[in-house]
Amino acid sequence: MFTTGSKLLFGGGTVAAVGAVLYGVLVAGALGTVGLTFAAAVLWLLGGISAVTRDANVSSMDVDALHYTAAAAPAPSASMWPAVGALGVVLLAVGLVTYQVVVVFGLIALVAAGAEWMVQAWSERVSDDAGRNAGIRGRLAHPLEFPVLAAVGVAVLVYSFSRIMLVLSKTGGPVAFGLIALAVLVAGFIVAVKPTLKTGMIGAVAAVGALGLVAGGIASALEGERDIEVHETTGGLAEHGECATAEETHADENASQSVAAKANVTGEVTLRSDGTLVARSLGIAGTADSIVVTRNNPTNILFRNDSDEARRLVLDAGLRYEDPTDTSSEQVPAQHCTALVEKGGTQLLTFTIANTSAAQDAPMTFSIPGLDAASVEVVVP
Amino acid sequence: MPRVPAASSSSRRLIALGAAVAASMLIAGCAKDAPQDTWDPAGPNAQKIHDLQWPVFAIAGLVGVIVMGVIIYVVVRYRDRGQPIPEQTHGKPALEIGLTILPALILIGVAVPTVGTLLALSKTDDTECVVNVTGQQWWWEIDYPPQAGCGGIDRALITSGQMVIPTGTKVLVRGTSRDVIHSWWIPRLNGKRDMVPGRVQTVRLEADEPGIYAGQCTEFCGLSHANMRMEVVALSPEDFATWLANQTAEYTAPEESSLAADGEAVFLSQCASCHQVDGLLTADGAPAIAAPETRVYAGAAPNLTHLMSRNTFAGATFDLLTSSCREAVWEASPEEFGAAYLAGVTPACLNSVDLREWLRNAPEKKPMYADPTELEATDFLTRGMPYLALSEEQIDQLVAYLLERQ
Repeated sequence: MFTTGSKLLFGGGTVAAVGAVLYGVLVAGALGTVGLTFAAAVLWLLGGISAVTRDANVSSMDVDALHYTAAAAPAPSASMWPAVGALGVVLLAVGLVTYQVVVVFGLIALVAAGAEWMVQAWSERVSDDAGRNAGIRGRLAHPLEFPVLAAVGVAVLVYSFSRIMLVLSKTGGPVAFGLIALAVLVAGFIVAVKPTLKTGMIGAVAAVGALGLVAGGIASALEGERDIEVHETTGGLAEHGECATAEETHADENASQSVAAKANVTGEVTLRSDGTLVARSLGIAGTADSIVVTRNNPTNILFRNDSDEARRLVLDAGLRYEDPTDTSSEQVPAQHCTALVEKGGTQLLTFTIANTSAAQDAPMTFSIPGLDAASVEVVVP
Repeated sequence: MPRVPAASSSSRRLIALGAAVAASMLIAGCAKDAPQDTWDPAGPNAQKIHDLQWPVFAIAGLVGVIVMGVIIYVVVRYRDRGQPIPEQTHGKPALEIGLTILPALILIGVAVPTVGTLLALSKTDDTECVVNVTGQQWWWEIDYPPQAGCGGIDRALITSGQMVIPTGTKVLVRGTSRDVIHSWWIPRLNGKRDMVPGRVQTVRLEADEPGIYAGQCTEFCGLSHANMRMEVVALSPEDFATWLANQTAEYTAPEESSLAADGEAVFLSQCASCHQVDGLLTADGAPAIAAPETRVYAGAAPNLTHLMSRNTFAGATFDLLTSSCREAVWEASPEEFGAAYLAGVTPACLNSVDLREWLRNAPEKKPMYADPTELEATDFLTRGMPYLALSEEQIDQLVAYLLERQ
């Protein structure tokens, strides 16, 4: 009546039941007692199933099953997925003590290995026909595998290509880009005019090209990016206290072209042809020699240069704390400036003034380097 | 005589339910005390909107009734009673063209006055007074730039919560925000305008009569959005001039050895790092300059120089006046309103309960993400007044000091 497997399960269930009684009496722990009782019930249930199914020994019940059931199937074929899963576990463990990205790769490997191994194992139990099993596996897995593999392949090629472009010089980049594009065009043309070319040969050429691209990408990544020039900005001028310079800097190139169609500005500051500076606030008629801005708020001012020379607008906003959140830090000049704006040009100046006019020893002003009389007071209530 | 069939019980229930919903909607529109009623304009700008929304509402309502009526008729008349499916036809050009042109004509008819109203409301070239508002979580700062308008303002003034304007004057509000998008809306004076960081938006206000016109931030802006209120106080030009004169009055120090003098010391040690009181001097005689940017995420805190000249605090969330005094101001006739408002907050009218509770534990009274353990995202800058652990004695002293900030 009792098969080998069911004896084991019934025995285990009995041990669990005895354990539950002993644990309940001696330790009086509800959780442990419930857990052991549950285990006993489950093991007895499994033992019963095992006994009824004769330990899943199909041949003992159905001779025909020898030809089509899982038990009749040949031994599982070799699989790389256990190895991939093991790699995932290792990456997960290493990543936990090194970098988060390694954990991500480990998880990806674990999930992929688990899913693929499961599908493979399932498909190999369909029948004793390995070919049929493989076909069924393909029907389930290919709709997912092909897009994922294609995306990964494209990503590797694009990333490799980007590494190559980053290592090439400013002029070399377009040349290489053109050559690769030309090679793709020529290859496509040949394939089009020579339809008799063997697909194996086309595949081989494509594979060599892809491998070359990936190899080039790896080599470029090891080489590192070329030196990319950092352009000077008006923010840099302000930080280094060089707003007052009348010299043209890199930040001054095409100053007016950097002005977006900026609406809703706080106001305009205009340098007139007579060398005076006037302000116009949004909504207030006429011009004035002062402009009110709100504290601690990004403020946009349009600077218009109606004089005959290229000029730069400078805002002297008094002093500021080097560390804005620390009033004990050193106080440094708070300065902002536009680029050198050509005659008739316009540029936007964006700035934030942390404190009120009352907090400053001297009035805050807009001024023009080289024009002493050009000044507009900035009032921060 | 044929008998009229009695309505079924389910039909009666449906009729009763429909009547209850309709009655609820009708009653909901009959608020007695509705200071933010857009259907009750109090100035020419709001009147323009009002003059537009009535016909638009009527047209939209008529279209809605017709469409719903046709739908209900079709649903009832042609409901499935087991009859055979009628002959199916495709296309009815005359009907299709007609039903395209008719809505287009209706929309054009609505668009013409709508665009006209928008253009009229955006007019700014006849501005007579300019006021700046700056929103931040969760209060409005209001400042008046020097200008010839508003009866002449020589130096910039700053206040919060209540914007005071002269009646019959075209006031241009220039608004922006220090942190997130807020929306300025005084329903009885004009439409709403979003206040966006880095941009200056404008909206025109004009009040016909003296009075208080309530508003509320109408763009969700965080935890205490519902507590971000504002009021526009319209005074006659003469009363407005009086208010201006008071706002420029010099600082009056508390009498020596008084409770208020102790309060000044408490203010300097506990409040002055964020709140500016113009004219207040530190112990060494230097002007006390607030640096809210070192403590508050928005980089600003209300200027309290003339706190008791306005009758709300904490983003106009709480009244500085007791309910009876507040009622006296709100319900004053236009002729008497100016005097009632300019009286400010007297000791007898001070709502010391709310003020003391605020000083005792502000974050408990108005949610402000003030938990110190949750401020990492803002680099430990608070989004409002923090808990200051003031003693009851310090609170007494502060109340006495603030009461003198008229």
